[in-house]
Amino acid sequence: MTSTNRRVFLKNTLAGAGAIGLAGTGLFASAKELQKMAYGGSPWLSHYPTYLAIENGLLKKEGIDLRWESFVTGSARLSAMMAGDVDLAGFGSISTMALMARGVKQFYVVGVPENFGKVEGLFVKEGINSIADLKGKTIGTAFASSTHLLVLDLIASSGLTPDKDINVINISGPEIIAAMKSGQIDACAAWTPQFNILSSMPGVKLLADDTSFSLYKEFGTTPGPDLLVVKKSYAESNPEAVKSFIKAYFQSCEVLKNTPEKAVPILKKLTNLNDAEQLQTIKGAEWYTLDQQKDLMAKDGKFVTGLQKLAEMLVTYKQLDSAPKVSDWINPNFI
Amino acid sequence: MSYVSKKRELVLISCISVVVFVSVWEMVCRFGLVDPIFLPSPTEVVLRGIRTLNDGILMSHVLASTRRVMIGFALAVAISIPLGLVLGTSRRFCAVFDPIISLIRPLPSMSWIPLSLLWFGITETQKYSIVFMGTIAPALLYVIEATRNVDQVLVLAARNLGASRFQVMREVILPASLAQIISGFKIILGLSWTCVISAELVSAKEGLGFMIMNGKEFFQTDTVVLGMVMISITVLIIDVILRRIENRVLRWQR
Repeated sequence: MTSTNRRVFLKNTLAGAGAIGLAGTGLFASAKELQKMAYGGSPWLSHYPTYLAIENGLLKKEGIDLRWESFVTGSARLSAMMAGDVDLAGFGSISTMALMARGVKQFYVVGVPENFGKVEGLFVKEGINSIADLKGKTIGTAFASSTHLLVLDLIASSGLTPDKDINVINISGPEIIAAMKSGQIDACAAWTPQFNILSSMPGVKLLADDTSFSLYKEFGTTPGPDLLVVKKSYAESNPEAVKSFIKAYFQSCEVLKNTPEKAVPILKKLTNLNDAEQLQTIKGAEWYTLDQQKDLMAKDGKFVTGLQKLAEMLVTYKQLDSAPKVSDWINPNFI
Repeated sequence: MSYVSKKRELVLISCISVVVFVSVWEMVCRFGLVDPIFLPSPTEVVLRGIRTLNDGILMSHVLASTRRVMIGFALAVAISIPLGLVLGTSRRFCAVFDPIISLIRPLPSMSWIPLSLLWFGITETQKYSIVFMGTIAPALLYVIEATRNVDQVLVLAARNLGASRFQVMREVILPASLAQIISGFKIILGLSWTCVISAELVSAKEGLGFMIMNGKEFFQTDTVVLGMVMISITVLIIDVILRRIENRVLRWQR
């Protein structure tokens, strides 16, 4: 190799290495910019905004690289959060308050995605027109859930005693539909998508939805509102990332509220519902916006007061040993 | 050292082992080495036990599960002994039933839940059926195996003396295999308890399985551990009763 060739070779090699180095640095920089986050989700409504934000690229735009972890139950998701495998997740308020009642302080409630009160309710066979008509009959519902609380509240409001006057049994999911169809139970309480199936079932009618719940009348609180929860240690070390997540999350809520048709093709990959069912499910919930969060998350506001009353009701029904002070877990600083 | 004092020494060692285990567990919790949400202390479990016992809830859970286990298990025993004896002595019958047993045996009790709900609905029979389906195949295999292990000299001698096939089964094979069958059934009884937990996952509102799952939903880990402890205690009590029955039934073998 001549000296000129050697010089050219060295020049090209250095230039190449420089280019690779720069590109590498660039790649490294862009990877570093994305904040890693793990989210515990399921095909339930409260996870729609997160799924949509991943698929729409809203989270990437906010600099978040979100890992979606699927869980069947809320308690499993909460356990995963306690074990440190999940940073953020949507939860039902009953399991969240159960954890609060155990004195676990490692998380904050940072938002409220929606109100699904009109797609959850108590269905009865034709001929049953009131709770009193259910005396001596059997109601199926998922124990330790919002529908269970709705059933207990409705029975108590009508002056009857659960298990003494009305047999309440633990049954949920597809089994509840089969049990209702075969006449093994006289009534059942369920939420969407079972709610939609029951609504269109012949010989079955909706007797009450969450708007009949005693706390709804006073505080607008349904039996188990969904909550957005973040792990305390993650939130304290990555406050800006949590703010960015919440921004993208509620942008998705706006889509679900204003242009649900746009969300249908994306969400049906998560839920396996058909187009019509998916649209109906989205429209069944009242989606909250970022602007509404300040009121909802106000520690002395109507929503948080309602949650406190809900915790006290859980103690009355012996589902919790003691009522936690819910506002201690509410943190509106990330909105 | 005499047999009695040797036995006393072993009992003492076992007692010390339990006391040390529970003390270490209590200390680990008391000094905050483990979050109570992950592991409650023995004191918390005992207090939860006293509370639920006073409410009358604990005994109703224990009795509900025990009833389900005993009925499902008794059904499996009642069917597996005669059927197992026939299958263990007849190669033709065995050729018919063996593939079916082999297909059923690996199925976990949980997998029977959807079908049992369709067949029996949300009834107690559905729960008995889960225990029965989860235990019948292994119970049959124990009986078949015990039947085949009977000394063939005894069988041939009985036949040479003019005993019919049924007499040989009832008076030679069954007594000779009974010890092994009972040992197998003691293992199956433990299996029945895992089945009852599955059975109580759906459409139950009492039973130790329900108690554990409900406790899990409300993060009441003391309730979860209490349920587990109650299962162990109940199995131990039933085991002692079975041992007494075994001693009485197999008195001639001692």
